[in-house]
Amino acid sequence: MAAMSLVLRAAAAWGARRAASGVAGGAHLPWLGEAARLPGTVAPVRHSSSHGKRMFIIKATRFYDTRFLNLLRFYVFLTGIPVAIFITYVNIFIGEAELAEIPEGYIPEHWEYYKHPISRWIARYLLDPPEKNYEKEMAVLDIEAKKTQLRLMELEARRLMRQRGDGPWYHYETPDKNLVDNSMKSTPDN
Amino acid sequence: MAEDRNREVYKVPPTRTPVSEGTSTLPNPIPFLHTAFSYIVDAPVTFVREWIERQQAKNKYYYYHQKFRRVPDLSECLEGDYLCFYEAEAQWRRDRMVDQEIVEIVRERLGACKQREGPNQFQNCAKEAELLAQVTKAYQDRYGDLGVTGNARTCLMKQKHRMIEERKAQASASE
Repeated sequence: MAAMSLVLRAAAAWGARRAASGVAGGAHLPWLGEAARLPGTVAPVRHSSSHGKRMFIIKATRFYDTRFLNLLRFYVFLTGIPVAIFITYVNIFIGEAELAEIPEGYIPEHWEYYKHPISRWIARYLLDPPEKNYEKEMAVLDIEAKKTQLRLMELEARRLMRQRGDGPWYHYETPDKNLVDNSMKSTPDN
Repeated sequence: MAEDRNREVYKVPPTRTPVSEGTSTLPNPIPFLHTAFSYIVDAPVTFVREWIERQQAKNKYYYYHQKFRRVPDLSECLEGDYLCFYEAEAQWRRDRMVDQEIVEIVRERLGACKQREGPNQFQNCAKEAELLAQVTKAYQDRYGDLGVTGNARTCLMKQKHRMIEERKAQASASE
């Protein structure tokens, strides 16, 4: 196996040397009608009968572009095609709802206000009923309103207690009157 | 989403073209084209559509238009009653959407009338044009220029200003 690869490598090197010598040999005689070529682009041409000379056209690579587009198509269709099949199945075999008047004494469920079956399913199993949402928002508003009222009342109480001084707030610690040294004031003629 | 295409209201009345008595000897291509169309296009499409409808008719179900109860308006709410404000705001938004749809319907009626009448539209569609003018003026008076931040409160203030202007105009007219 290793001997085989050595032989192949030697054969490739011999072939490259032959091609290089062919290039070098060709470069000695430029005035014999050979067209100016880029180094390394010499290749044997065979004139085919139907469409002129076969050209080996050198272009910028499109490998990365085609790879990207193939991968894009693959990953988009991987979930896109099952979703499209599912939606087609639902639209053909289940069908949309028909508009009707609300029967007497019947209160429709919140999902029965939608037309498309997938919207109905989402409204029924995934989303909250709009009445619940409404009540939740009203509960938040109610709590915040009560909080603002309490805060305003607290501010008012603080203001009045500070002003009147007859409440439990705004009491300040003063030193004990027994600690006061009255010897400075005890004798009038000091 | 687009509205349902059940435009029964806009059905054009049947045309009254008279039967033509042609004296040409060449065969008329119209019936041939009509039969070709109905065999090649119409029949397969109708067959598929009716098959689909038969599949869908096995389990019929309905949807309804939601009817909302009327709640006290913003002008009937006490000050500081945020819950009342919220409900009045929601109701005002619903009413504004309804008014938008009304304007849209009146506009479509005028468009249908113009399409129907063709060259006679300026005379025969006068009623629809007048109705559209009145409806858009009313909408502009009530909801116009409130902007994207308009809510029930700004609309109420606009109404208050309108009434003040009206009163001033009345007072100055009676002098």
